[in-house]
Amino acid sequence: MTARRSLDLKLILSVLAAFMLSMAFTWFLHSRLSDRDAYKLIDRTFENAEAEITDCVNVRLVQQCMAARERIDDGHPLDTESLQALAKELHVTEISVADSEGNITHSSVQDYLAAPGKPAFNFRTAGGKAEDMMCLVTGPETEYCQPYRSNTANGAWRKFVGVWRPSAGGFIEIGCDGESLRGLARSSIMDLFRNWRVGGTGGIVVTTATGLVLSDYAEPNREGSQWSDPDDSFYWKRKEIEGFPVYVTIPKNAAAVQRDVLVGATAALNGAALVFVALLVGIVISSFVRQQLRVQTAKELEMAKDIQLAALPNVFPPFPDESRFDIWASMETAKEVGGDFYDFYFTGQERVLFLVADVSGKGVPAAMFMMRAKTLLKSIAQTGKPLARVFEEANDALCEGNSSNTFVTVWAGEINKLTGHVTYVNAGHNPPVARRGGRVEYLKSRPSLVLGAMPGVRYSLNEIQLEPGDAIYLYTDGIVEQPNAAGELYGEDRLLKLLDGCTQKRGAVLQTVIDDVRRHAAGVEQADDCTQLVICYRGEPETFSGRYRPVMEDLAKATADLSSALKQVPEACKNRLMVAADEIFANIVRHSGATDWTMTVERTRHPDGIRLVITDDGKPFDPLSSRDPDTTLSAEERDVGGLGILIVKKTMSPVTYRRQNGRNILTIGSDYGNQDKK
Amino acid sequence: MEIKTRNEGTRLTISVSGRVDTVTAPELEAGLKFGDAECVVIDLADVPYMSSAGLRLLLTAHKTMLARGGELQIAGVQPSVKEVLDITGFSGILNLV
Repeated sequence: MTARRSLDLKLILSVLAAFMLSMAFTWFLHSRLSDRDAYKLIDRTFENAEAEITDCVNVRLVQQCMAARERIDDGHPLDTESLQALAKELHVTEISVADSEGNITHSSVQDYLAAPGKPAFNFRTAGGKAEDMMCLVTGPETEYCQPYRSNTANGAWRKFVGVWRPSAGGFIEIGCDGESLRGLARSSIMDLFRNWRVGGTGGIVVTTATGLVLSDYAEPNREGSQWSDPDDSFYWKRKEIEGFPVYVTIPKNAAAVQRDVLVGATAALNGAALVFVALLVGIVISSFVRQQLRVQTAKELEMAKDIQLAALPNVFPPFPDESRFDIWASMETAKEVGGDFYDFYFTGQERVLFLVADVSGKGVPAAMFMMRAKTLLKSIAQTGKPLARVFEEANDALCEGNSSNTFVTVWAGEINKLTGHVTYVNAGHNPPVARRGGRVEYLKSRPSLVLGAMPGVRYSLNEIQLEPGDAIYLYTDGIVEQPNAAGELYGEDRLLKLLDGCTQKRGAVLQTVIDDVRRHAAGVEQADDCTQLVICYRGEPETFSGRYRPVMEDLAKATADLSSALKQVPEACKNRLMVAADEIFANIVRHSGATDWTMTVERTRHPDGIRLVITDDGKPFDPLSSRDPDTTLSAEERDVGGLGILIVKKTMSPVTYRRQNGRNILTIGSDYGNQDKK
Repeated sequence: MEIKTRNEGTRLTISVSGRVDTVTAPELEAGLKFGDAECVVIDLADVPYMSSAGLRLLLTAHKTMLARGGELQIAGVQPSVKEVLDITGFSGILNLV
């Protein structure tokens, strides 16, 4: 049990460990997944933000460029100082005017203009990205924006925007450095990102080159203050777009919550599945174990039942030489092992004790108590003490250490086979049925206390006189308390009526009762052990005895003696006995080596029959153990050896043999009267 | 025991009266003389019972007749005798009529 419990514990612990491990793995996996997802989102956001910022800046710069074109077309002076003034006015870094060949004709930047020994800056020939601007001359574009980048002319960071100048055939180009870009686009960018949310709770922060916050989705009033990089509780990335440092930040706790919810749900689901599977497996295993246990228990109970039955005398007739009385008993056990028993044995030369008992309760405890009670009663009774005394001693012994308060009801009688006088004690048992002089009635007596209930109890002795032909029928309550489908018990009245009408003798009456009880039950399962015992008193037999020598002359004499002893016996029965006796006589005279042999003829009553006891002092010979000859051989192969014994065995019942005091004692019998003479 | 013999040409009828057992068997054995009869009938109508001592004689007689190419018939078998013949398997060997 301890081993099994520790096994259970180990099992539970390892299942728990596996469960925790799988949860940790899920948590880790989802953490990594949410990290990856967050950075993916950030990258995507940057792509969108870049497009938006670029759009926003372009629109604003094209406006400025158009404003410059308008002023120039209106006649704004084109000398370098004037253009510088215009650039300042329009908040751009530089303004240049190009002709249709791509030559800068006027510019706020002196370097772009033609000087002695140096041609003017030409977009077509300058190389790098400058040539792209020529699309304004070739069409169909009327405005063109370059990205913010390091410029071709002098390496400074600029964003150039150009617009076509239809009035002159060339184009106007403005350039902005980072600061002027930020100055121009600031407010529209601030509008753009203020309400832009990333992944629910994240957003975009834009700062100036020096880290002053332009737009902060989370804290609008922080705008203008100094930016500091977010801490570990954020996923974030920085990227410069069109000169704006842009930060995309997502608080980790949002992703973490999502992950924790997912892991929690998975855990709950897994847990539920685990519990379900565990329950299922538990149910399957326990039902299997229970099934095994049931099978084993059934097997053990079956063995207990067999042991119990084997403890009861089960050879009938039990005393084949005994012609003065007959005892028959049977026990039909119910499905469950119970505590019924019957018993009978000689308690003296002439006295035979017979009893039926029922132990309270069922199962192995009852069966064990039954064995104890049976053994105790027998061992005390065989000391020859009076029956009441036997009960008193057995009761005291059974009470010792009887913590389970099991008890046994017993009805026991002791018959003197010579006189038919019966003394009996009833320890709380059902009253038996007595047939006396053809009258059938319950043998009611004041019952004494059951055995095993209380020590020191006195048992009262009752008596009854049986005459030849009388009988006593004992039973346990399994007989009278067998219900039918309607719950109606078989009952004592039905039993008495059946026995009154019953003319059968010997053991047949027991089967008749069982059959009737079964008929009454009509398919309802046998409720309890059904135990019965019947003792028939036959009284003094008529007997003849003769002693003979092993010579043919005496064999003829014995045959004549037997023939006259059987005068009253019906012909068929007599013939059978004569044949059987002749076979036995011939064997003794021819083969036994005996010096003397005897024959006793006893006539029995109720039923009418003959018992022939033949003894000899020859060598031991048990005819019952001899092998039967083959009676199927053809005439040529046959001889007559062994046929005599075969005839005896086949025609006589009972046939018993024993060796006692140096003599073979063979008893053969034949009954002819199986009708009760009322 | 009483044994009567009637001869009708090649057919010999032996009528037995009384029990056949160890005591009477020698008497019957002495009476079973078949001469040169081709068919022998043993009539057991008046035999109340027969033990294995009688069976031995019947078997011997049967074998004798078979050996000389003749026939042995057993007639008038009573119930007690029939029972013994059945138990011992002799009913299947002997020619019961």
